[in-house]
Amino acid sequence: MLNLIKRDLLLSFYSSANFFFTVSFFVLILILIPFAFGTQSDQLKLLFKGVVWIALALSIIITVDRIYNADYEDGNLDIIMQKNKTIEYLVISKYITHWFIYCLPLLVILPILSFLFYLDYLETIQIFINLFIGSFGMVFIANFVSALTLGAKRTIFLKTIIMIPLFVPFIIFGSDAGSWPILLGLSMLSFVISIYVTAYGLRLYGE
Amino acid sequence: MNELKIEDLSCKRGESKVLNNVSLTIKSGETLVVKGRNGSGKTTLLRILSNFITSYQGKVSLNDLSILEDNSYNNKFNLIGQKNSLKDNLSIKKNLELWDIIFNETLDHAKLLEQDNLDHLINRDVGSLSDGQKKCISLHRLNYNKYEFWFLDEPFVYLDEVNTNSLIEKINRFNENMGIVILTSNINLPKKFHKEINI
Repeated sequence: MLNLIKRDLLLSFYSSANFFFTVSFFVLILILIPFAFGTQSDQLKLLFKGVVWIALALSIIITVDRIYNADYEDGNLDIIMQKNKTIEYLVISKYITHWFIYCLPLLVILPILSFLFYLDYLETIQIFINLFIGSFGMVFIANFVSALTLGAKRTIFLKTIIMIPLFVPFIIFGSDAGSWPILLGLSMLSFVISIYVTAYGLRLYGE
Repeated sequence: MNELKIEDLSCKRGESKVLNNVSLTIKSGETLVVKGRNGSGKTTLLRILSNFITSYQGKVSLNDLSILEDNSYNNKFNLIGQKNSLKDNLSIKKNLELWDIIFNETLDHAKLLEQDNLDHLINRDVGSLSDGQKKCISLHRLNYNKYEFWFLDEPFVYLDEVNTNSLIEKINRFNENMGIVILTSNINLPKKFHKEINI
């Protein structure tokens, strides 16, 4: 499991363009808000709390092909699955690396962005906690969608259609400041379902 | 001394039956060449032996213990499939570093590539290599040497005469060290590969 985490982190370091692409995508969506809705501070504050979730959801959707598909297409998934006989460990290590590579940078950049949208420290911390907890749940969902659609080509639209409805509860509760316990519950529920479905999807691929 | 035994193996892929009552035994130091028409189940057989496909009829056992129940079995074989397991956007060196981590073994790649006259390519992106060169790099995984079995799926495809002979030599050396090789191929190989099966 640790080997796989190390390997995925090194791979993302070597292919750092993907990582910068995701961060830039997230930042650009948020930067577009003032152009569309003006620069009134109250309006921007309100919009930011909701749009930041949409930006996070879209940023995760564009990374979904890189979770299992890239390794499936070049044949590395065979080696990885052979070396990790307990597929659940493999899945957990993918959760960790996927969150670490694609969600953590977005959370790191969040305080700078919220400063641009006139949010104070308290509001920023509240959004940060919600995003921190909710992003795990979204990663779990992205993983099982990626595993279930493994091998199907040009299915980014299909994956998007499956994922967006599943992201809706996170977006609804995420924009509410004190709703982190609900997000935690949603993330835990996603974990339980996702680990089972992802492992099933990978075993199905092996067959 | 290992003995890999396949008894009455049958397998369905979708609606069609690709393996029909295949039985064979292979012992340490032997190489088995699996031949057959396209779609006859050669790759399926290797994937069953690699524990990827688990729903089949019949029995596959290593030293009389079913491979499905043998927890250490997955660490005993090295499977080289038809895909190269290489990232096109990375250099050979970086690809080999990633393999080292997965295989949990650090090899002296520069020296090993020198033996195959590929050391000058080490910093080249895999995407810029020919199919034959990619295949040679892919077969470089045979240098990880903790394994007792090699399962090779069409290993000679894209290889020129020199590299084909070099692979045959490697297989012979592995056999001398009591390793078992099962490979799929439709080309005529030297008689040294003394076991052959048509499926």
